[in-house]
Amino acid sequence: MYSDTFGAVPIFAGTFFIAFIAMCVAIPIGLMSGIYLAEYASTKVRQYAKPLIEILAGIPTVVYGFFAALTVGPFLKELGTSMGLEVSAESALAAGGVMGIMIIPFISSLSDDVITSVPQSLRDGSYAMGATKSETIKRVIFPAALPGIVGSILLGVSRAIGETMIVVMASGLAANLTLNPLESTSTITAQIVVILIGDQAFGDPKTQAAFALGMSLFLVTLCLNIVALRVVKKYREKYE
Amino acid sequence: MIKIKAKDVDVFYGKKQALFNISLDIEENQVTALIGPSGCGKSTFLRCLNRMNDVIDICSVKGEILINDFNINDKSCDVVRLREKIGMVFQKPNPFPKTLYENVSYGPTIHGMAQSKQEMDEIVETSLKKAALWEEVKDRLHEPGTGLSGGQQQRLCIARAISVRPEVILMDEPCSALDPIATAQIEELIDELKKEHTIIIVTHSMAQAARVSQNTGFFHLGQLIEHGSTDKIFKNPDNKKTQDYITGRFG
Amino acid sequence: MNKNKEQLLNKRYKAEQRFRLYGLSAIFMALLFLTIFIFKIFSTGYSAFQKTWLVVPVTFDAELMMLDQNPSKEDLQDADYYDIALKSMADLDPKANEDQENELKRMVSYFFEKEIKNELLNDPNLIGKTKEVYLTASDDLDQVFKGNYPRDLPEDQRRVSDYQLKIFDQLVANGKVESKFNISFFTNADSREAELAGIASSFMGSIFSILVCLMIAFPVAVLAAIYLEEFAPKNRFTDFIEVNINNLAAVPSIVFGLLGLGVLLAIFQLPRSTPLVGGITLSLMTLPTIIIAARASLKAVPPSIREAALAMGASRMQTTMHHTVPLSMPGTLSGTIIGLAQALGETAPLILIGMVAFVNTIPGSPMDPAASLPVQIYIWAESAERGFVEKVSACIMVLLGFLIIMNLFAQIIRHKFEKKWS
Ligand SMILES: Nc1ncnc2c1ncn2[C@@H]1O[C@H](COP(=O)(O)OP(=O)(O)OP(=O)(O)O)[C@@H](O)[C@H]1O
Ligand SMILES: [Mg+2]
Repeated sequence: MYSDTFGAVPIFAGTFFIAFIAMCVAIPIGLMSGIYLAEYASTKVRQYAKPLIEILAGIPTVVYGFFAALTVGPFLKELGTSMGLEVSAESALAAGGVMGIMIIPFISSLSDDVITSVPQSLRDGSYAMGATKSETIKRVIFPAALPGIVGSILLGVSRAIGETMIVVMASGLAANLTLNPLESTSTITAQIVVILIGDQAFGDPKTQAAFALGMSLFLVTLCLNIVALRVVKKYREKYE
Repeated sequence: MIKIKAKDVDVFYGKKQALFNISLDIEENQVTALIGPSGCGKSTFLRCLNRMNDVIDICSVKGEILINDFNINDKSCDVVRLREKIGMVFQKPNPFPKTLYENVSYGPTIHGMAQSKQEMDEIVETSLKKAALWEEVKDRLHEPGTGLSGGQQQRLCIARAISVRPEVILMDEPCSALDPIATAQIEELIDELKKEHTIIIVTHSMAQAARVSQNTGFFHLGQLIEHGSTDKIFKNPDNKKTQDYITGRFG
Repeated sequence: MNKNKEQLLNKRYKAEQRFRLYGLSAIFMALLFLTIFIFKIFSTGYSAFQKTWLVVPVTFDAELMMLDQNPSKEDLQDADYYDIALKSMADLDPKANEDQENELKRMVSYFFEKEIKNELLNDPNLIGKTKEVYLTASDDLDQVFKGNYPRDLPEDQRRVSDYQLKIFDQLVANGKVESKFNISFFTNADSREAELAGIASSFMGSIFSILVCLMIAFPVAVLAAIYLEEFAPKNRFTDFIEVNINNLAAVPSIVFGLLGLGVLLAIFQLPRSTPLVGGITLSLMTLPTIIIAARASLKAVPPSIREAALAMGASRMQTTMHHTVPLSMPGTLSGTIIGLAQALGETAPLILIGMVAFVNTIPGSPMDPAASLPVQIYIWAESAERGFVEKVSACIMVLLGFLIIMNLFAQIIRHKFEKKWS
């Protein structure tokens, strides 16, 4: 399989590529939702919108996988065909996009918390200078909250890299070195499942390869988490 | 010359009334001190003058406040422009988590006051000079503003406030977090600033009010009990409560 | 100059409005996704709770069943029902040739023989008589009846032939097709035939896994939390553990699956595909969640309570067990339920330890091979048959229902029983 041709490179590339697509969806939507909830929303809107968005984080990933494979994939394929593009029914875009939806609440909730914990005195200082709300957010609150926001994004990335079911169900299972989001590609997690589904002997080199992939996945996400948690903690200490 | 004229101002926090019927005239290019026991509504009144109470959802303000004969509580008043003209310095120094330079250039940038980098440098320099901070920080303009001492931070906030050349500066207990030396520096500064700006200062220190202000207003339980020239209020107040407060018998 | 200012101000207000709009649209998008999602699941899934039956007259011909006069119960059990079953289907169209008879047979599930048998076992007096019996329609006809099947496809792309459709339409016109609540979806185990497949086996698998998970994770986590919060010295080692508990909570679930596979199956030789192994694997995942929740609620108990107890002469152990821990229980329990809800929705680790095997019996203990609800969703979703699509959605609805109930429960415990320390 892959080991004869390219080694693990396409798998790692595919993992980061799909995670990248997911973050392209999750960061803008999650961050802007977090900002809106923290700074603009009335208590009423906040009271309802926040838990509703958090439901997205509580939905099991297998459900997202089903949604991506059954609805989003075919929809993108059809959309692409109507525009004259060739889109795989198991495109990286479908898997990554749906994964992004799943990650929205992680980013919105954490950045909402982080933004709310920026002291009011900074806001007052900016408003008193005659700044509008968005200027205050962009120029004072956002830089002040940046470490915490970066932390939340890193946690999101680590989620995306470790996510399994969406990729298994909605993206390809064959490793494919590509940067075209309309093609299908595979990830570390999906490869582990492909190799280990069904019975297999433990001495088998493929099984060992799967465990090696799992180990590298663990290390990558562990590093991300350590960095992210440290950044968030540093940030908390600064304002508490 | 009267700069600010408050007429029958009532302020409510939700259902609770915090200020009752305040009418007060503020003289141009003078320092007006607001004194009174804690919780009597001094800060609330001060925040009415640049509509900072808008930020608090439950707060509502009634009555007229005329600045240059224009009612700032009117619907047509633009708060952004108002706050450009009325600067504010807070009780706790609150420099932005940015460099010293960015702190001072913040106002001029958002209001588009400088056309070039040079102009901006100039504004930053004069503001810091006026705030008597230039000498201490001129070599470290690009270090974070939060790295300064408390007194320096407060002067930085003053520099930030005067960078947009406001007509009025509101100061809410600007020295309460500072030691006597830093306090003396700021008081000196206030004396200097009143040449160009109208200043209103809230303070808990009778001595400070007596030292820096020309006029004083005494608040108690949301009422303006008495106001007039500082000399008169301190030497010979009309009201018994004022007398008691100033001599330290309550509050 | 003044005009410039005016323009700038205008621009600033426009920027303000734009920014606000971005924020609002972000919220709107997130909620839109949620709505589409739920709508999609419900609109494809609700029909699975209905099942289509064909009402077919069956003549219980003793001769065809090879029964003697006055057969005993055993005789009825052993009788041959296949012929009468076939005959009653063939009788739907007296003019049918052999091929068509075959097609007629395939209009009902392969279970139809058993359904006819049950009818007779319930009422042995039926021998020699004719009765209309409810037979489970094939999954394709089920989908046709529910309007999910594209009838306008060319015949060779359909799994339902024109002939079957013709007979089916006749039956519909005669009122011989009925839709009833699909009990078998809840009582049957998994099956290769969509019309017979149910969630009972995977449901029991989930229950067993969650119970195993609870029995391991809860005591371990609570004890760990009590130790860390009440007894552990503050040193580098406990700091290290603390940091790692937080890191553990963010480890991808599939890594726990590998752990289960490599340790529980390979080293301890525990039985593959069982809820026992699944539950242990899930408990590893749930541990950090519960520890974090338990520590937070222990921390929330004010020190004054501990001091009061200690001042009464209670030992540290007594203080902890009699006062601190009971007071922290609501928070711990709601954290536990939330952790279990996460475990209930987990798929990848269970696939790795083999709970993805096809199981057509309902497991009676955690040692029997089983699937779980989310794995069932995966298995059915991978199946090509149209009939499984609605089953997947229905299974998702059941799973989401459980998750909602668990989360509500956690909320209620938190709000009702948690004391507010002011
Ligand atoms: N954000 C708020 N919400 C509700 N009530 C408030 C709020 N801010 C102030 N108040 C109330 O309004 C009254 C006046 O408060 P204000 O802060 O103006 O007092 P102050 O004179 O500035 O006191 P201090 O000298 O302690 O600063 C107080 O009774 C206070 O409880
Ligand atoms: Mg005050």
